[in-house]
Amino acid sequence: MVSKENCRNEIRAAIRQLSDRCLYSAAKWAGEQLVGIEQDPSNFTPSNTRFQRGSSSIRRRFSTNESISTPQPSVGFSQAATPLPEEDETIDGDLYLLAKSYFDCREYRRASHVLRDQKSKKSVFLRFYALYLAGEKRKEEEMIELEGPLGKSDAINRELVSLERDLSALRSTGAIDSFGLYLYGVVLKEKGNETLAIASLVESVNSYPWNWSAWSELQSLCTSIETLDRLNLNNHWMKDFFLGYAYQELRMHTESLAKYDYLQGIFSFSNYIQAQTAKAQYSLREFDQVEIMFEELLRNDPYRVEDMDLYSNVLYAKEACAALSYLAHKVFLTDKYRPESCCIIGNYYSLKGQHEKAVMYFRRALKLNKKYLSAWTLMGHEYVEMKNTPAAIDAYRRAVDINPSDYRAWYGLGQAYEMMGMPFYALHYFRKSIFFLPNDSRLWIAMAKCYQTEQLYMLEEAIKCYKRAVNCTDTEGIALNQLAKLHQKLGRNEEAAFYFEKDLERMDAEGLEGPNMFEALVFLATHFKNHKKFEEAEVYCTRLLDYSGPEKEKAKSLLRGIRMAQTGFPSMDLEHFPI
Amino acid sequence: MAGLTRTAGAFAVTPHKISVCILLQIYAPSAQMSLPFPFSSVSQHNRLGLYLLSLTKSCDDIFEPKLEELINQLRDVGEEMDAWLTDHLTNRFSSLASPDDLLNFFNDMRGILGSPDSGVVQDDQIILDPNSNLGMFVRRCILAFNLLSFEGVCHLFSSIEDYCKEAHSSSAQFDGSNNDLESLTHYDQMDMEIYAIDKATEELELQKNASGSVPFHLHTPEAIFKVIEGLRVSPKESSRTRKKITEATLVSSASSSTVEDTLVDESLFLRTNLQIQGFLMEQADAIETHRSSSSFSSSSIESFLEQLQNLAPELHRVHFLRYLNKLHSDDYFAALDNLLRYFDYSAGTEGFDLVAPSADCSMYGRYEIGLLCLGMMHFRFGHPNLALEVLTEAVRVSQQLSNDTCLAYTLAAMSNLLSEMGIASASSVLGSSYSPVTSTASSLSVQQRVYILLKESLRRADSLKLRRLVASNHLAMAKFELMHVQRPLLSFGPKASMRHKTCPVSVCKEIRLGAHLISDFSSESSTMTVDGSLSSAWLKDLQKPWGPPVVSQDSGSRKSSTFFKLCDHSVSIPGSVSQLIGASYLLRATSWEFYGSAPMARMNTLVYATLFGDSSSSSDAELAYLKLIQHLALYKGHKDAFAALKIAEEKFLTVSKSKILLLKLQLLHERALHCGNLKLAQRMCNELGGLASTAMGVDMELKVEASLREARILLAAKQYSQAANVGHSLFCTCHKFNLQIEKASVLLLLAEIHKKSGNSVLGLPYALASISFCQSFNLDLLRASATLTLAELWLGLGSNHAKRALDLLHGAFPMILGHGGLELRARAYIFEANCYLSDPSFSVSTDSDTVLDSLRQASDELESLEYHELAAEASYLMAMVYDKLGRVEEREEAASLFKKHIIALENPQDVEQNMA
Repeated sequence: MVSKENCRNEIRAAIRQLSDRCLYSAAKWAGEQLVGIEQDPSNFTPSNTRFQRGSSSIRRRFSTNESISTPQPSVGFSQAATPLPEEDETIDGDLYLLAKSYFDCREYRRASHVLRDQKSKKSVFLRFYALYLAGEKRKEEEMIELEGPLGKSDAINRELVSLERDLSALRSTGAIDSFGLYLYGVVLKEKGNETLAIASLVESVNSYPWNWSAWSELQSLCTSIETLDRLNLNNHWMKDFFLGYAYQELRMHTESLAKYDYLQGIFSFSNYIQAQTAKAQYSLREFDQVEIMFEELLRNDPYRVEDMDLYSNVLYAKEACAALSYLAHKVFLTDKYRPESCCIIGNYYSLKGQHEKAVMYFRRALKLNKKYLSAWTLMGHEYVEMKNTPAAIDAYRRAVDINPSDYRAWYGLGQAYEMMGMPFYALHYFRKSIFFLPNDSRLWIAMAKCYQTEQLYMLEEAIKCYKRAVNCTDTEGIALNQLAKLHQKLGRNEEAAFYFEKDLERMDAEGLEGPNMFEALVFLATHFKNHKKFEEAEVYCTRLLDYSGPEKEKAKSLLRGIRMAQTGFPSMDLEHFPI
Repeated sequence: MAGLTRTAGAFAVTPHKISVCILLQIYAPSAQMSLPFPFSSVSQHNRLGLYLLSLTKSCDDIFEPKLEELINQLRDVGEEMDAWLTDHLTNRFSSLASPDDLLNFFNDMRGILGSPDSGVVQDDQIILDPNSNLGMFVRRCILAFNLLSFEGVCHLFSSIEDYCKEAHSSSAQFDGSNNDLESLTHYDQMDMEIYAIDKATEELELQKNASGSVPFHLHTPEAIFKVIEGLRVSPKESSRTRKKITEATLVSSASSSTVEDTLVDESLFLRTNLQIQGFLMEQADAIETHRSSSSFSSSSIESFLEQLQNLAPELHRVHFLRYLNKLHSDDYFAALDNLLRYFDYSAGTEGFDLVAPSADCSMYGRYEIGLLCLGMMHFRFGHPNLALEVLTEAVRVSQQLSNDTCLAYTLAAMSNLLSEMGIASASSVLGSSYSPVTSTASSLSVQQRVYILLKESLRRADSLKLRRLVASNHLAMAKFELMHVQRPLLSFGPKASMRHKTCPVSVCKEIRLGAHLISDFSSESSTMTVDGSLSSAWLKDLQKPWGPPVVSQDSGSRKSSTFFKLCDHSVSIPGSVSQLIGASYLLRATSWEFYGSAPMARMNTLVYATLFGDSSSSSDAELAYLKLIQHLALYKGHKDAFAALKIAEEKFLTVSKSKILLLKLQLLHERALHCGNLKLAQRMCNELGGLASTAMGVDMELKVEASLREARILLAAKQYSQAANVGHSLFCTCHKFNLQIEKASVLLLLAEIHKKSGNSVLGLPYALASISFCQSFNLDLLRASATLTLAELWLGLGSNHAKRALDLLHGAFPMILGHGGLELRARAYIFEANCYLSDPSFSVSTDSDTVLDSLRQASDELESLEYHELAAEASYLMAMVYDKLGRVEEREEAASLFKKHIIALENPQDVEQNMA
């Protein structure tokens, strides 16, 4: 376990260094983690506690217990401590100060011009970084200016070439620091040179682990578990944050949860960790838990917009209209032009059945961020609702092209094609989605339904799919029932009976009733009667007698038949009641 | 989706257009002089005018020439004043120092236009009529510039800088030596042509203006087409006759290199939609026609397409092109991915303009076309079962959406699939699949189903006026008629009449119906043109030295191909149409070789190779080559055939599913058999048998051929009983799999075996049966050779039958001499001599010339065939005759020849070394 005091000191220094270099989002992240570490008893002032989460009394008690143990030096200090780099100049140059203020006013070119002859590492980095951002800004503008008849233009960051040249020269002379390496990695990534980018970023985080931006860039390059495993990273608590994030993106949710669990030991109040945990839980479909976590998160950080789209998804799934509208209103007041806000509003309208408006808001979200994956997928869902399948397919396909492992979009594609009566074509898409999420029963059931359509009528394949669905703990219980029915249809009564029994067990366990129950009972009763297992048959018949309706009559006649058969009379009921 | 909409700003100002404007300023300065400054003569002035005309015509091309290229062209045009022209051009560009200069420049441009109402124009005054082609160009440029926002002007300005920079960096190496004198001389001759084409394009533009939009083209159905075609022609008809290779080898490779040249990266300027669409279609054609040639690399196309996709993600047709490219480079997963992506994005509505947009298509999209393409892709990659499932779904969906066009295409594809898949594997698949069309016919045989599908497809295509589909269906029908023996449909029990027959008349009818396409097509050609591709051809021609006095090395073929290219431009026959017509010629050749007329078959193949070589798909072209080589082997001997094979091998070995290897094995086998090298023959035969059973399934015809060849080897090795056994089992196989036509040749082989074994009585019924088969199937050449065998059998019964044998032979002689190969002819000659000699009433001394003539003929022909066994026989007979006549010297000569052949026959090894 890393000492909390150490962490705190490291982060404090890092925040200063990061904001000196205008790496604001990394500094913001680090700041969040700093207050996420539970309170330092030395400066335990009331103003600080107010800022920290304290609504849960259990937690407060828990935290006070822990705070006692903090000052003690931790034993088994396994992780290598990375020494904090010393600043190369204690007093900042005047030009640097000017450049930084230009930078803060978003006048990037001016900032880089001021620093043109500066030699200190900090100034050099800031100059390159400002140049990069200037190029990015120009690129965005050009994208709108050049919007030609074909919908897009060839806008690129024109500074990339010179940046790459200068940075690689710096690197070859060894005059590059970890921040420079980070920028070099970013530039290489934009130029499409991924392996070099990874190498550069790894070098950067190994020498300076507190730059979260570098870690996130590295994560975006780790598209497979193999690449992740190949990375040669030094041990540091930041690596655990990285791994948790990377596992999550690679859909290894339990591993990711384990990492966050471990980190919560140190950063017990980190909003970030809580949001990430909620994300992982969401992927595991633990909606109730996620809702509680998000509620708490919002209580502590009421103006948070990040990750709130996920919360809205949960509320959507739970059909909590009022809560969703409250959330939408809140984010709307906080920041209207965030893609997340638009997405939440879109979700709200979708839940209200106003699909046109929902589409409008999703479109706005996409205008703000073209690569906003979930908005594409959600828009696809809306189009499906509006029966505009071509548009839905288009939207889903864009989502898939942004992230080929988005199983929801693949599933949506399959669904859309199935709706159009092209089940065979749809199968390919279902297969794709199952490839990315092989233990989700819903996907298997969808695929089985495809095989079951009258156009294909490939029942054997459907049975295989349903079996997989059963193995994946199908919560809705469709698979067992379908399996039984399919076997019944194919005349395999033994198998059918097996699955009907299982289904009955499930329904009993969940306390459900309904036509499925009657069907199972009737089948089982007749089946056992035909096989002369009268005792079992009687059990099922008597269960049927509890219900009213035609089933009751049937049960009665079955019972009569059983009695007759048991007493040795030739059974005539079989002809009367062919099942 | 946005890729479909063409905005008003489709005509964008680019640096190249500005250079044209500058040149126009020189051509028609606003100062009113009769002849502007640099020009020394009126003709010089006119020449520049013509050049500018062609430049403005080509301004819709996807690739605009760089400044350097423009300067080079100017050099050719400008003669002595070229230096001045280029100087002026570059100076004018360098004087554009700020966006304001651009504004002024376009203001000046206004000045060179005459006012629209100036009715009175002095004779010597040069004014651009605003409604002329050049005037229109200037007006469009000015309008487009005026529409630009300030940002747009800035972008134009910076791209001009790049444009000039590129030229400067490369013009330093150019030393200005004028080595293009020839092209100048041709230039004058070209003027007339320009006028001719000019008219055509003007008409086109008129139409465009009238209708508002030119239908883009039918690029994708065309592509579908080619896929169908490529699949269709590949296999079965490939075999039997052989032809001479002429200059045709050189034809098709010449034109393919242009793609590479145009693949220069020009991401600098944004193109109009029209330009890109036109360009993409060209690329699609290129992918399909040139996938075999080595100069065409799919990876370069791929990287280019990737770039294009980055530039214009809304242009979905790029995905389709990537699919095509991957399809042809046999990358299954990438092809599948791109195909699905294309249909996901475009909903099948982009590029399929063939179908008139109906009201509901926007709602549902046209995903059934996606199914159709997917089915054909699966087929191509060798998943016939998957393909059938997908096509069945396509049938269902297109019925549901009442897209009859797609249905017609799907049915055609399906019938094609069934006929290709072979007889053995199909029945199981069809049993399980559900299809409205096939289910009604579930009790029918595969051939009958193919027939029904074809009929259905034809009917629909006919009513929808899909000319190309109609034509290709007719061709498929002809092929069907050719390959499948008609039987009375209701024949049950032993007493039903079992008369089989083929029907050459209907084959001929279908082929002719198919070929009608070209005349039909010319009437609607105008709507099919794309100005993009048209105009790009325009500048390419400018550099090409052509015209009446082309006396280059490959004159004959070359001229015809350029002739067709010209037709391509003026009448604009799309590649797919000429491909179809080409296929009809190939089919004609096949049917002729089937019915036994070698000269007709050869002629048709040659027509194909010379006229359609450029536009043909590689598998078609390969087939034509194979036919010609086979012909060569039969009629000119193996030496020539192997030489030709070498050329073909270099050209086609890269083609997937190449039949070249097959042909090579066949040729080697025959040659080994002739030379008596039975071991080698056996090896070849085994390899051939191995080729018959591939992963895709068993090719029954090939298998039958392999065992036929094996029986021949056994026969040559004098293992008569074994040969007869093989023959018998072969006949059973043929009967089982309904290979009627092969039966005839198996029967003939059996007759042959019995003849060789000296058992003529047994052989007679086989020969007679074979003849009757040939008769009902109209296999004339095979019948002639069966008749020859029959005659030989008669002679084998005793010399008293010589007269009858001779009569039989003389009856078959016209056919044999007119159409038979070297071997058959030689055999006939030798046999004739044999007959005479064994005829007791014939005396050698009085009528020696009759015998000697035929023997000499025979030995000449056998010499080139290297058929030692027969050659030995011929020389033996000759020697005997000479001996009778007492001509000792000649007798010795013939005897030594005999000895030579016998020795060669007994020691085949050294022959083989020569061969290797």
